[in-house]
Amino acid sequence: MRFSTLVFKNILRRKTRSAFTVLGISIGIATIIALGAVMNGMTTSMEGMLKSGKADFSIAQSGISDFAFSRVNENRTSEILELQGVKDAAGVLLGFYPIANNPYVIAWGVETEDFPLLGMNIISGSAFSQEHELLIGEVASKEWNKTAGDTLTIRDEEFNITGVFQTGDMYQDKGVALSLRKLQKIQNQEGYVTVIYVELEEEANAEEICQQIEQEFPDLVTIKSISELGKVDKGLETLDAATLAISVLAIIIGGIGVTNTIMMSVFERTREIGVLRAVGWTKKRILTMVLGESILLCLFSVLIGLLLGVIGTQLLMLQPIIRGLLTPIYTTDTFLRAFIVAFTVGLVGGLYPAYRATKLSPSEALRYE
Amino acid sequence: MNKIITTKNLVKTFEEGQVKALNGVNLEVSEGEFIAIMGPSGCGKSTLLHILGGLERPTSGEVIVDAVDLRKIKNLDNFRAKKIGFVFQMHNLIPVLTTLENVQMPMFELKLSSKERTEKAEKLLNLIGLEDRANFVPPKLSGGQRQKVAIARALANNPKILLVDEPTGNLDSTSGQEIIQVFQALNKDGRTIVLVTHDKEIAEHVNIIYYMKDGKILET
Repeated sequence: MRFSTLVFKNILRRKTRSAFTVLGISIGIATIIALGAVMNGMTTSMEGMLKSGKADFSIAQSGISDFAFSRVNENRTSEILELQGVKDAAGVLLGFYPIANNPYVIAWGVETEDFPLLGMNIISGSAFSQEHELLIGEVASKEWNKTAGDTLTIRDEEFNITGVFQTGDMYQDKGVALSLRKLQKIQNQEGYVTVIYVELEEEANAEEICQQIEQEFPDLVTIKSISELGKVDKGLETLDAATLAISVLAIIIGGIGVTNTIMMSVFERTREIGVLRAVGWTKKRILTMVLGESILLCLFSVLIGLLLGVIGTQLLMLQPIIRGLLTPIYTTDTFLRAFIVAFTVGLVGGLYPAYRATKLSPSEALRYE
Repeated sequence: MNKIITTKNLVKTFEEGQVKALNGVNLEVSEGEFIAIMGPSGCGKSTLLHILGGLERPTSGEVIVDAVDLRKIKNLDNFRAKKIGFVFQMHNLIPVLTTLENVQMPMFELKLSSKERTEKAEKLLNLIGLEDRANFVPPKLSGGQRQKVAIARALANNPKILLVDEPTGNLDSTSGQEIIQVFQALNKDGRTIVLVTHDKEIAEHVNIIYYMKDGKILET
């Protein structure tokens, strides 16, 4: 018999108690998985908005806490284009509207000549040329079952769909693209854009150009990667903090549950532990056995938690409202985080009962009734 | 014959000296002897057994077991693992492990492979006549069979000395007789056995009987 067999069989002694403990931790792990997948989805979506197509970086209004409220004078686009090292720049206005069954569709107000810079490829039909025309993203086209020739209503205005575009980014492809002027009119934002996408010459130094822009235009801020998103949007940071808080809470609650279960198990086996000490088991082996039981319980919880997390998230995705809002992305990092959390819960939760077990005097343990 | 156990003026107190469990015990056991210690409850029999087996340290006095002065060694785990086999009134077998697995428990402290442990446990079950119960869990065994498994477990690391505490306390007379026959056979093979019991019938099968009262050995 292997030592691990003993550890495994020990946690099966009280099957119901072990099952409830595993379930409790699993729910915590499932929460971490689901929140992680949602966070990844939102980060990817923001990344898609910040680094569209061939753009090396984007420019937004400085001193704001939500990227969606960025308001940049569209004349800045031509001023940026004149800077040395800048190859191309495109001002884009973003709007967010409930369309069909999706409550949160991104409307891209763009000039058709900026399509190459924005990575927008028309895969069917043609570009819009009139005010009441628009393109829809490939994913939106499939979800709404609409294509060139159909119509779409935004804010009670009917638009003719002239074609379908594809960018390769899930969030952009869930949206619609229409003329910049029209979207500015709809939003009463004439002369303004949300963001300017900038493509640099090959030899240009992005860092230097970003510094130059921020010095020359104090009302603007540059964003080269998602790590700089905090400059213009606190939403993800807030969500990240909430995810961390929930993870910590899961660790604490799970840890208490594990401690309670293992502690009861140690109490119930006091005489048995006394006998094991009598037959020569060292304190270290007792510690390894009890900690092993605690960690094994938590590792089972990871497996069930992963399953619950993925199934739960996918069930949520069946709701059109949520599906329209976000696309969960499962990454190795999320699973690794769940594994580390479970291992930590097992280790921390089992530490006190294991310590108590080693402190039992063999002689007193044998007298325990 | 060599003295395998020697105690001189052994004292053990509890609760900061308020309770005196052993009050100057002098005992000598020769190698290969089978002795019984009898006496009323609370006279200190079990405490003496625990000190001889390194489960507890004496408050004062000398204890030498198989040439090891127990006052001088720090780690008693290793001593217990190699020199002593314990059998208790309550067998305390692990209910979720099979008979074969229970017998292997003390072997984890030896550098043996899983296969070696299993082979050794099979031999021990053969020795006590329970080879056909190797894959049974304790709840499926009779009281006598469980106690035999506990004896096999005590023999796992081939100790020279067996310390036995009321081994038949929970058994009917037939099972009790069977258990005492197992101890007699082990004693014939050269093992020293110190047995603590209330049972006069069982005590009749040993070489020497010691009586204890109020923490002292009275007579032989």
